[in-house]
Amino acid sequence: MYIKSRNLLLGHKIAVNKTEKYWKGLEYGKIYKTVCECGREYYPPQAECSFCRKETEWVEIDGYGVVETFTVVQSVPSGFEWIKAYTIAIARFGNVRVMGWGNESVKVGDRVRAYTQKDESGVWKVYFEVV
Amino acid sequence: MKIGIIGVGCSKFGVRDTTIQELAFEAVKEALDDANITQDDVNISVVGSVGTRNYELMPAVPVNEYCGFSGKGPIRVESACATGSSAVYTAYASIASGVAEVAIAIGVEKMTEVETPVSLAVGGRAGNYLWEFHQYGTTFPAYYAMHASSHMAKYGTTEEQMALVAVKAHRNAVKNPKAHLQKEIDVETVLNSRVIAYPLKLFDCSPISDGASAVILASESKVKELGADAVWIEGIGYSSDTSNMTRRESFVGLKASVEASRMAYRMAKIDNPVNQLDIATVHDCFTIAEIIAYEDLGFCRKGEGGRFIEDGESDFGGKIPVNTFGGLKAKGHPLAATGTAMVYEIVKQLREEAGKLQAEIKNYAGLTHNIGGTGHFAWVFVLRR
Repeated sequence: MYIKSRNLLLGHKIAVNKTEKYWKGLEYGKIYKTVCECGREYYPPQAECSFCRKETEWVEIDGYGVVETFTVVQSVPSGFEWIKAYTIAIARFGNVRVMGWGNESVKVGDRVRAYTQKDESGVWKVYFEVV
Repeated sequence: MKIGIIGVGCSKFGVRDTTIQELAFEAVKEALDDANITQDDVNISVVGSVGTRNYELMPAVPVNEYCGFSGKGPIRVESACATGSSAVYTAYASIASGVAEVAIAIGVEKMTEVETPVSLAVGGRAGNYLWEFHQYGTTFPAYYAMHASSHMAKYGTTEEQMALVAVKAHRNAVKNPKAHLQKEIDVETVLNSRVIAYPLKLFDCSPISDGASAVILASESKVKELGADAVWIEGIGYSSDTSNMTRRESFVGLKASVEASRMAYRMAKIDNPVNQLDIATVHDCFTIAEIIAYEDLGFCRKGEGGRFIEDGESDFGGKIPVNTFGGLKAKGHPLAATGTAMVYEIVKQLREEAGKLQAEIKNYAGLTHNIGGTGHFAWVFVLRR
């Protein structure tokens, strides 16, 4: 015998003040990393260097990346019911790696260009196009 | 300081129609009986539960109450899929510090109270929510699938080799009465099952299980006083890595696994694990994870994990039998219960009480390797009787 629990709906408001430049940048087709004067580079970007504890600088990522790994998600989690399947890839751009959605034919070693787009649920993110 | 394990217990893993506290009690009862002590002999309890899928979000106190430990702890710990090992470590540390003489580590998880898509979404949050799951829908199968893709591209590891991990796990689980999946399968079953996150298919993935397990530890003087046949914790290693997958050094191994195992090996004076250990449990939440674990733990060289399973080196009679109990893959992987259940299985093996799954024990030494996330946490214990 089972009893159904009272429903609990969790929806959070996430403070992104320190990384606002990144989130705004996506809407203009720009993808930012942050760089510290100590030489460390951060992607995802963060406003402070975790190690030398100084403020970092915002630098745009451009050019081509190389795919290091990928998967095609076919068992979709809640929150993504609006899509049947999607490809996640990670590509290296210089000293940082970037996660993005690609198309199904993406392979390890592919050269890609990154662009930004809003998905069907209204979330801006990085996409890869094989070149 | 020597600290010994004097009692272990484990519930049946699977889809269980009990509450979380009733489930925990199954394991605690068995562990207390096994140690031949009562709750009065226990000074402190540690309750490990990830607790994000069951209706009781803060389960430590209800679990502690039902198990008869009210007033003793509970200390609640959480380290994703490595929570059980953190619980054992916390119990160990409380004895090592002199605060307790006898401590119990309980690992318990109810995972089947929510639907699968919800479970996938909660699990996906075990990486980095904002930068990975929120944007890209990184489920846990997806994280390990990306390790598989990378390992396949770099070392030529095949889907057939990964399938062999599942075949071995299912073959062993049939003989383990506590296992969730008790059905033999073949390579074709795995290869033909539906894709969850390419290249991982349904049978490459551990099932969604409920389960509990418990480990009772005691100081050396208490072991002597009780006249217990203890299994000693000789080596402990731990490490961790970034929450963001994009910040990892590579995707073909888990750096935290390598570091944790070397720490445990140093402490236990192990320089040749395959020769000095009789048996190992490794974190095979997905088939690729077991292949990577052989390499990270030094059972074979980097890139040769696929060959290691193919050659039967991780089976009974091989270089080192791995996951003889059916692994997470077939016994089940109720997150917080996994680390404590690994200790349970190794203790049974070292006491030569593993029945039809008994491996040959010569050195009386075994290893547990428990990963949280994809190497977000790593714990390795070396146990000796």
